Amino acid sequence: MSSDFYMNSIVPYSGIIIKICRAYTDSQEDFEDYYQEVCLQVWRTKDQFRGESKWSTWVYRLSLNICLTMIKKKNNNRQHTVTDYNVPESSEDNHAFSDESLNLLYDAIKQLSEIDRAVILLYLEERPYKEIAEIIGTSHNNIAVRITRIKERLKKLLN
Amino acid sequence: MEKSIETIWKDGFLNNDALVAPKVNNIYNLKSKHIISKFNRMFKRNLIGLVLGSSLFLIYAFFADILIMGIGTFIISNAIVIVNLKLMKTLKNIDKNVSSYNYLKAFDKWLKDQLRINRKLARIYYPLFFITAIVGIWFSGNFQTILSEILGKPHQIYLVNGFPILWVLPIILISGLMAIFGDKIYNFDVNLIYGRVFRKLNEIIADIEELRN
Repeated sequence: MSSDFYMNSIVPYSGIIIKICRAYTDSQEDFEDYYQEVCLQVWRTKDQFRGESKWSTWVYRLSLNICLTMIKKKNNNRQHTVTDYNVPESSEDNHAFSDESLNLLYDAIKQLSEIDRAVILLYLEERPYKEIAEIIGTSHNNIAVRITRIKERLKKLLN
Repeated sequence: MEKSIETIWKDGFLNNDALVAPKVNNIYNLKSKHIISKFNRMFKRNLIGLVLGSSLFLIYAFFADILIMGIGTFIISNAIVIVNLKLMKTLKNIDKNVSSYNYLKAFDKWLKDQLRINRKLARIYYPLFFITAIVGIWFSGNFQTILSEILGKPHQIYLVNGFPILWVLPIILISGLMAIFGDKIYNFDVNLIYGRVFRKLNEIIADIEELRN
């Protein structure tokens, strides 16, 4: 990976990647693995980007897909079935941020299903519903209903 | 007043420490370890399969009155296992205290050497398996019954000066073809089982080479 590509096409979007990877991992080690894998795949698939969407959308989509694939692989390896609302193990590593409210919010997000996590992350990143629907592969209406439901669930989890 | 999740999110990430990216070095360390341990697992499983398969076949051969076939298959299979176990021991000589790239290159070289030896062996053991099978049938107590079962109707063996020439010629021909194309059959065989791992290994090496340039 050339340092130019890394500096221009990955570093400005590393925040997106970090936020997504944090939501799908329970330890610092896993987080670093997921982050590196996303960076690697962004670099490897750069030629497939045809400019039909924004580069940031491309990075969102890739990050989510890679995290979902990696989490699936990891679960298959453990021969462990993940339920829709799987509660992650509580550990020191979970508390990755200095802001305690943000840690609690992440803990709550991690209790959502994998797809709901993706939806709420995109929503919190202020992506338009149309773009979220496009990334997740569902309708605009479905996203709107889903976000309302997820927000209610998060509220309950945080209280 | 209670903060909304949107506010928690925004405020939480106002602090720059929250978004410190991990270093993207050693990107292939884990991948290298995974791919090599995956190959080792598959390879060991394959060898165990050969030992178990040939042992079970030996027991079956004893009861099915094709003992020579059973013993031959058992000996050839286990000879393959012994050779490959010896080859596997040399894998331990690869220095692990080097970069992912050098480690993968060393593994790739070991793999190529191992495949080259096995390709040569395949040109011997494929015909041997075939000859063992035929000899096993030939010397079985109920050869005519087995032959009839294979061909579907009762058969007579035609002998030329007491020699079953019509049988021996095709056997020599097929064995010869197996000796000539044994390496190709082996390649096909190996790619069926390990093809994905080989492709992944080449992909990783190519990626690292591109990253290094």
